[in-house]
Amino acid sequence: MARQTAVVAALALLPAAGEAIYFRDKISWRSPIAPSEMVTVEQARGWSDTAIWVDARPDDEFANDHVPGAISLNEDRWNELLPQFLAVWAPGKKIVVYCSSLSCNASREVARRLRKEAQLSDVFVLEGGWEAWLKKNR
Amino acid sequence: MKTPLFAFTLSMIMCLGARAELKWEQTAVELHPAATDKQAVGHFKYQNTGKTPVHFKSVHASCGCTTAQSQKEEVPPGDKGEITATFNIGDRTGTQVKTVTVETDEATNQKTVLTLKAEIPQQLEIAPNFVFWKQGEKADTKTINVKVGKDFTVKHIKVTSSTPDFQAKVEEAGNGRFKIDVKPQDTNKVVASMLTIQPEDSQKVFYATARITNAPTAPVAPTGPTAPARPTAPTGQTH
Repeated sequence: MARQTAVVAALALLPAAGEAIYFRDKISWRSPIAPSEMVTVEQARGWSDTAIWVDARPDDEFANDHVPGAISLNEDRWNELLPQFLAVWAPGKKIVVYCSSLSCNASREVARRLRKEAQLSDVFVLEGGWEAWLKKNR
Repeated sequence: MKTPLFAFTLSMIMCLGARAELKWEQTAVELHPAATDKQAVGHFKYQNTGKTPVHFKSVHASCGCTTAQSQKEEVPPGDKGEITATFNIGDRTGTQVKTVTVETDEATNQKTVLTLKAEIPQQLEIAPNFVFWKQGEKADTKTINVKVGKDFTVKHIKVTSSTPDFQAKVEEAGNGRFKIDVKPQDTNKVVASMLTIQPEDSQKVFYATARITNAPTAPVAPTGPTAPARPTAPTGQTH
């Protein structure tokens, strides 16, 4: 009986192993950014006034609710919103970018563009995004 | 040992034969929208090759920038259809990969991930698109580098500052590259300017920001009387 179970388990593992190898570069939870560029809600709150919160979600979600004082900067209207963000940025400020949840990618893209295109440093992505902030604050 | 294994294999084969099955023509689509396109649309065609109907339980896009629609809720055996995924490009650039997750009531393979890859052409790559000086700092020239994207030809660019507080001078660096030297009149007051960068013979407009920043302890609030100066947008601009 045990042998049969082992055979069935081994048969079931074959396609799973094949899929894991085939999709090794497409694992959805793999973060494309370094852990040092991520920040938790607690860490970011500790930065207090030295942090600028950037909301990378679409306009309607920002309009519905957002982190108090956050600035909207999404890729739908990047060219229009970026100058507004840069108008409030100051040297020495830390930038905390967030999107909806752990699985969203918008904050990573916005953070990447701020580093690459505007060549700003101290740009961080909020772990867990808006959902995590809500959990800790409401 | 032989009999149970044979029975197991036979039951698996029978199940495979009787199940409803959605066969996808392709689960990944690569699109090459034009520089002026606002949307990229991908079509994912399928056919129910099983013997029972398939029902869509949900069709969910990975981001707010993508919408996905199924033509029908139920797919009878032998029937064909497609999921249409529309990606709103907005101001995104470069390679964009968006996914649509389709859930059905099939006995196996209930979840299928459809991938939409779009290569968005970029006429000009501008870096940095932000130059700043601290208040009181020496008013040195700072350079913005412009690179013409592949598949584009730009011989000249025109740069206009929205305020007279900054001067911008274009220098052709050859090989599809330009240098924009930006210099403030002085750095005594907190000012900002939007630099409009326009390729010759093109309607597309690009932007960069030049700014004199105040002390590092500047207020965070995005609006209000204490907010620092925003760059003045040139009139009649398009995005």
